[in-house]
Amino acid sequence: MTGSRERVRRSLVRIGAMAQKETIHVLRDPRTLYLALVMPVVMLFLFGYGVTTDLERIPLAVADADRSEASRALVRTLTESGELALAGEVAPADADRLFRRGHAAAVLVIPEDYEERLARREPVELQLLADASDVSSANQLLSKADALVRAESRRLSAAALAPAAPPLSVKVRTLYNPAARSALFLVPGLAAYILAITAILLTTLTVAGEWERGSMEQLFASPVGRLEIVLGKLLPYLVLAMLELLLVIAFGAAVFDVPVMGKPPLLIAMGFFFVVGMLGQGLLVSVVTKNQLLATQVGLISALLPSLLLSGMVFPIENMPLPLQLLSRVIPARYMVHALREILLKGNGLDVLWPDLLAVVVFALLVIALSTARFKRRLA
Amino acid sequence: MTPATATAAPTVEARELTRRFGAFLAVDRVSFEVERGEIFGYLGANGAGKSTTIRMLTGLLAPTSGAGRVAGHDLATEPEGVKASIGYMSQKFSLYLDLPVRENLIFFGGAYGLWGKALERRADEVLALADLGDAGDAITGDLPGGVRQRLALASAILQRPQVLFLDEPTAGVDPVARRTFWRVIRDLAREGTTVFVTTHYLDEAEYCRRIGLMVDGKLVALDTPAGLKARWVPERLLVARGRDLARAVERARDLPGVKNVMRFGAALHLRVEPGALSEQDAAAALRAGGASEVVVEAAEPTLEDVFLAVVGAGGRGEEGSP
Amino acid sequence: MTHEPSPSPGAGPAVIARAMVRRFGATAALDGLSFELARGELLGLVGPDGAGKTTAIRALAGLLALDGGEAQVLGADPLSGANRERLGLMPQQYSLYRDLTVEENLHFFARLYVLPRAVYRERKERLLAITRLDRFTDRRADALSGGMYKKLALACALLHQPEVLLLDEPTNGVDPVSRRELWALLHEFVHGGMTVLVSTPYMDEAERCSRVALVHRGRALLDGEPGALIARFEDEAYEVHGGDRERLDAALAAHPAVLAASPAGARLRVVIARGARDEVARAVAPLGAGLEPTHPDFEDLFLARIREAA
Repeated sequence: MTGSRERVRRSLVRIGAMAQKETIHVLRDPRTLYLALVMPVVMLFLFGYGVTTDLERIPLAVADADRSEASRALVRTLTESGELALAGEVAPADADRLFRRGHAAAVLVIPEDYEERLARREPVELQLLADASDVSSANQLLSKADALVRAESRRLSAAALAPAAPPLSVKVRTLYNPAARSALFLVPGLAAYILAITAILLTTLTVAGEWERGSMEQLFASPVGRLEIVLGKLLPYLVLAMLELLLVIAFGAAVFDVPVMGKPPLLIAMGFFFVVGMLGQGLLVSVVTKNQLLATQVGLISALLPSLLLSGMVFPIENMPLPLQLLSRVIPARYMVHALREILLKGNGLDVLWPDLLAVVVFALLVIALSTARFKRRLA
Repeated sequence: MTPATATAAPTVEARELTRRFGAFLAVDRVSFEVERGEIFGYLGANGAGKSTTIRMLTGLLAPTSGAGRVAGHDLATEPEGVKASIGYMSQKFSLYLDLPVRENLIFFGGAYGLWGKALERRADEVLALADLGDAGDAITGDLPGGVRQRLALASAILQRPQVLFLDEPTAGVDPVARRTFWRVIRDLAREGTTVFVTTHYLDEAEYCRRIGLMVDGKLVALDTPAGLKARWVPERLLVARGRDLARAVERARDLPGVKNVMRFGAALHLRVEPGALSEQDAAAALRAGGASEVVVEAAEPTLEDVFLAVVGAGGRGEEGSP
Repeated sequence: MTHEPSPSPGAGPAVIARAMVRRFGATAALDGLSFELARGELLGLVGPDGAGKTTAIRALAGLLALDGGEAQVLGADPLSGANRERLGLMPQQYSLYRDLTVEENLHFFARLYVLPRAVYRERKERLLAITRLDRFTDRRADALSGGMYKKLALACALLHQPEVLLLDEPTNGVDPVSRRELWALLHEFVHGGMTVLVSTPYMDEAERCSRVALVHRGRALLDGEPGALIARFEDEAYEVHGGDRERLDAALAAHPAVLAASPAGARLRVVIARGARDEVARAVAPLGAGLEPTHPDFEDLFLARIREAA
């Protein structure tokens, strides 16, 4: 064998030795397995079910100045679906008091000439006073009310013998998520988020642990190189994290009916490089802090905040101020969330998602290079 | 030697103390008594069960069977009472390396329930007792190992314990610091503190009034140093010094009347049946074996000779878990 | 166990430490430490805690950079990593993997040094036999007693048959029987041609080395063959017989000519400054004790030198 091939072979043997040792550590430490395989599923359930932002039975009060057959029909339509619940009849002036007491989230004000104008085929304006102190609920309320009023308006049009333009002009069409189920919106983001946290936590302890336990001294006296240590340590956690990715997607599909419309290879590729990047990030924290306690804290913070706030998982990136938007461009979770949604919900492929794939690949390579470079071969 | 105290009950009592870990019998029916103010040595090979016994006596581990009393408290039923009456210095240094010496003491004193002026006074007292008077402001981590061990000792006596348990307190410490350490121990014992100590430095063990020796979980010997020597090394002890003695070891072992030959540094200790071999014959044999400049003298056995006789002969406690 | 002598070009010393300097903050752990090790020699670094032994060994293993001076192992700078395959290290702190078994630890190190399978198997069996760990191959490292653990650490360091072996306090906390076993092992390997550097706090072990360097505050106070060093010892060692040991101890500790006092069997052993014997004899006579000359050992040497250096 030529010199360099022999060197590569020896390198591979050493990487294999590190990986095998790390695998034994993982298998003998139930907490790691718990973190990698049980926690994600638990989190998925918790977030998926418990934190659903879908509201049911929003209390709606009605200020009906018309009190006609038509107005009562309108109220019935609005409340029969169950998404809005009638919270009572009030005078418009009482709206403020209602909101403060929390008795209603909105007041529908029907003008006294509602039926008359309908009969004359004139447009009618309904007023919806909404308590927007909870913006996200208010938004939901508005879109629900809007949908229901349109439905009513169509019914009225159909009932009238002459077709007329529907009185309401706003159109809200939701594509790819017709029922606007928040689960579909959340789960892909959630998957990325869960993967990011667990991957970082898995590796964050491993190098710092060796420093603390004293075994690093023995390692560095041997011919093993820093890159070999980094790669060897990555491998078993990579396997675990990929398993986790599959688990989360499988559960998402089974329990939350998240469709898997896209191509599996692209999904695996994105997942693979994203996970390598996250594992590498944890390793980097471990290499730099050399202390398990500190590593855990730094790792958690560096994992949680970006993935939660800047990845587009919950808060749309487009709504953020420009500096944060730019910042989110260096957060790999952003690309993963985006890609997961595109692949799972739209079935999009490499032609659209190549920038996201490129981004996670670059991040992965960068973080591994940094970990190796910052890995000091000296004890002091 | 410690002055005799009026008929006090023994401060440490063990009766058939036993501890199992699954199928493994770490401590097997160990019984002994330690008097007030006694320095009691507890020796044995690694894994023989010394640390496990100490953990039971300090209330950290429950015995599987058997009973014990420490400072009047029953081990099984009053472990908290035991802990309140003892000081324990473990093998692992457990004070904060980044704190100054005195602050460490204040912190641990607080943990023991001391506070205010009383705590400050006591901290200064133990600093003086442990010969750390001028090290109060030094950062703990900067101190050499021997001095740090004295600090650990100081923190163990903050609450004026009746019994002090020391687990290999001078491991790795240099000879000067070791001597200082033992001077402090002897001072404490003179004032009535009972000291229960394990060590691998058998020259230190000579300071103990009595010594217990464990092998494979059993207490196989319990006596004063003199008693142990008489019982376990009853033969003559010849000490051979010279050059290249290592070459002649096998030959020496084969000599008639020689029970065993052990290396002690560059010298050899030969245990010889009384009357079987004279110093001159031994020296001649060693020379014939390849050694030179040989000098052989009769000598008194040391505790290390006893240890080698007891432990080296039978089991070695290799099965033990720490 | 045979050790194939390595094809070494040239006959330079295996290990050279020349005026090594290393500071940690304000403290100088190494302050001009120098010594040399020829091939096949067993050098003992003896000194109190904090003398710089561990720092010296780490510098020679390529784990620490020096602030001054030079370190050379097998003709190369240890930091360059050129000779890692030919060097073995047994660090002072517990550095094997606790949740791995004896077998798994050995296997890991074998692969780290890329040993061929057959070679590994043969050496592993011999090492396990010599260290008497062969019955415990499935025992986890954290379940081994202190002495057994150290033997395993030694076996792991020897697996790749290094030419130079560095051991940092290998017998610390190990009982007298296991200590002798470890030393017997070391001697066998040295006999086979290995160059060994050992640091130890046990003075009697210093006497088992072919050469000894007494280290104090980062420098070598003494360097030479133990027998020769003791022969050159100018102060005198005595045993004190008779009298009450505690009272004697107190009296002697205060005496300026007494360099050290320690128990020797049931008696007391003292090191007295040269020529001061009669003075001290007069001091102990009233307590009913007398002095009897005895052979100085390395601890006496150490105590006297440290006292002078202080």
